[in-house]
Amino acid sequence: MRNYIIKRLIYSIIIAWGILTITFILLRVGPTSPVDRYILNIAARGQDVESVKQAIEARYGLNKPITEQYFSYMANLLQGNWGWSFSASMPVLELIGSHWIYSFQLILLATIFAIILGVGLGMLAAVKQNTKFDYAASIFSFIGISIPGFWLGLMLILVFAVYLGVFKTYYDTNYPIWSLENLKQLILPVMALGIGELAGYVRYTRSAMLDNLRKEFVTTARAKGLPERTVIGKHVLRNAILPLVTIIMFDLGSVVFGGAYLTEIVFGIPGLGQVSFNAIFANDYAVVVAVTLIGTFLVLFINLATDLLYTYLDPRIRYE
Amino acid sequence: MSEEKISRRGMIKKPVYINRRLVRYYWDRLKKNKLSLAGLGFIVFLALLGIFGPFLAADPQHVDFDIKNLPPLGFSTQESIYDIKTNTFATTVNPGRPDHPLGTDSKGRDMLSMLISGSRISLLVGLLATGIALFLGTFLGVLSAYLGGWADNLLMRFTDVMMTFPFFLLLVLIVFIFGPSLTIIVIVIGLTGWTGAARLIRSEALSLRTRDFITASKALGASDNRIIFNHLIPNVASLIIVMATLSIPGVIMAEAALSFIGMGDPMSTSWGTILNTGQHSLDTAWWVAVEPGIMLFLTVLSFNFFGDGLRDAFDPKASV
Repeated sequence: MRNYIIKRLIYSIIIAWGILTITFILLRVGPTSPVDRYILNIAARGQDVESVKQAIEARYGLNKPITEQYFSYMANLLQGNWGWSFSASMPVLELIGSHWIYSFQLILLATIFAIILGVGLGMLAAVKQNTKFDYAASIFSFIGISIPGFWLGLMLILVFAVYLGVFKTYYDTNYPIWSLENLKQLILPVMALGIGELAGYVRYTRSAMLDNLRKEFVTTARAKGLPERTVIGKHVLRNAILPLVTIIMFDLGSVVFGGAYLTEIVFGIPGLGQVSFNAIFANDYAVVVAVTLIGTFLVLFINLATDLLYTYLDPRIRYE
Repeated sequence: MSEEKISRRGMIKKPVYINRRLVRYYWDRLKKNKLSLAGLGFIVFLALLGIFGPFLAADPQHVDFDIKNLPPLGFSTQESIYDIKTNTFATTVNPGRPDHPLGTDSKGRDMLSMLISGSRISLLVGLLATGIALFLGTFLGVLSAYLGGWADNLLMRFTDVMMTFPFFLLLVLIVFIFGPSLTIIVIVIGLTGWTGAARLIRSEALSLRTRDFITASKALGASDNRIIFNHLIPNVASLIIVMATLSIPGVIMAEAALSFIGMGDPMSTSWGTILNTGQHSLDTAWWVAVEPGIMLFLTVLSFNFFGDGLRDAFDPKASV
C-alpha cells in the first residue's frame, strides 16, 4: 500500500512536470511578450521603446535563450520561488494567496449543494421508480446536463437580479468571505455551477440504486422484516456509493478546471479563474504556469484520494 | 439476433462496414425511442438551417443603429424621453417588427440572421473538431491495444498527461497565442479531445483482440493491417458513432464558451459571440442573451437524446 502511494506520487509529479513544461514553452514561444503592456505606456509617452524593452527584458532575464529561462524558472520553483507577476506587480504566490479563497468557496458550496440535492433526488427517483416523480427527475436531469452553465448563470442574473431585483447584478468584494451577505450573493453562482453537476448525480444515483435494489441481499433484508428505511439507507445506498464516488470525484476535477472559471467570469467573482484569464491576456507567464500547476496537482490529488477512498469503502479492493 | 450474426459474418467478406440489413436493424431499434427521434429531427433541422439558411437570411454582421434593440415579434419595449419644453416624460412604445422577427441587438444586427449563422458555425466546429478527435482517438486506441508492451504503456501515459491538462485553460491559452480563428479553435479542440475516445477504444479493442475470430484470422495468415482495418475497427464502429454523437455537444459548448468570453473568431458570428453581446445588454435587451442560449441548449439536448438512443440501439443487451 505504501509503495503504491509513493509510486502514484512520483507519477503525479512527472505528469505535473510535463504539463508545466508544455505550458511554459507555449507561453514563452508565443509572439507576445510580458513586457508589451509596459511598452504601450512608454510608446504613448514618446520614449524610446526599444531600449526600455531591452532594459526590462534584461532585468527579468527574458532575453536569455528559452532553455536557460526554463531552467532558471524550474530552479526558482524548486526553491519555493514562484516568480513575479508582471500584470499585478507582486509575487505570484501573494497574488494567488489573496484570490484562491474565492474559487475554493464557490467550488466547495456548489459541490455540497450538488451532492446533497443530487443524491437525495436520485435516491427518491429510484425508490419511486416509474412514478411521475421519477419521470420528472429524469427530465430535470436531462435538462440540467444539457444547459450550458454560463448561460444558466446569465439567465439567473437576468431573472433574479435584473427583473426581480432579489440579488445584486455584481459581486461585492467588500464583505468578509464567510459573512452572511457574501454567502447570499453566492446563491446564484452556486446554482449556476451546481445544477449541471446535480443533474448528473441524480442520474447516476438513480441507476446505481436501481442496480442494487434488484440484488438478492435486498430481498433477504426485506424478508427479515427490516423497515424499508433501513433497507434503502443501509443496504442499498451503501452499496451504490462506490460508483458514485468515482463520478463525483471525476466531476470535481472538471469543475475545478472548467465550470468554476466560467462561473467566476459571468458573476465577476475575483477567484483564480479570473486571475488566470487576466494573466493569459497580459501574457503573465509565471501566473499562468502557477495556476495551471496548482490546478493540475489538485486534480492529481483528487484522483489519488479517490483510489485510496475505494480501499476504505470497499475493503475487497487492494492495490499492489 | 440471428439476423445480426449473419450480417456480422457477411461483413468479413465485405471490406466496407455498410451493410443494408444491419443498418435497417439498428434504425428499427432507434425508431422506438421517441426522444431520440425528436433529437435527430432537431439536428436535421439545424443542419438544413446551417447549410441553406445563410443564403436566404440577411447579412448577420450588418450594423444599423437606427433599429438597435428591437424586441422580438409579439414583445414591445418602452422608451421614456424627457421633454425639456413641456417638462414631462414622453413615452414611446417600440413593438417588434415583422422584418426582424427575433429582434435586433445593441448594434441593430438582425437576431434571426445571427442565429442562423451561429448554427452553421456551431455544427461546423462540432463536426470537424469531433472528427479530428475521434480519428486520432480511434487510431491511437487501436494502435495502443494492438501493439501492446512498451508502446502501449508510452501511449497511455501520454494520454494520462493530456487528460490531466486543464483543457479550457489550454484552449484559451492557445487561441490567445495563435489568434482567434475558427481553424485554430477546431484544431485545438480536435487535438486535445481524443483522450477519452483513445482509452475507451483501447479497452474495447483489447477485449476484441483475444476473441476467437481474430485468432482465427491470424492463423489464416492475415496481416496486421488487415486485422486492424477489417476486424478491429468495424467492431468498434458503433462505439465510435455513439461517442461522436455524445461528444459533439461538449465541443459546441466549448466553442460557445470561448466566444462568450470574447475569444471567438471576430470574422464570424457564433452563438457564443451573440451571448457575449447579450451579456452587456441584459437590462435593455434580454432577448439577445436568451435566444442564442435556447438554441445552444436545444442543440446540446438533441445530441444527448440522439446519442442515448443510439447507444441503446447499438447495445444488443439493451431492451428498447
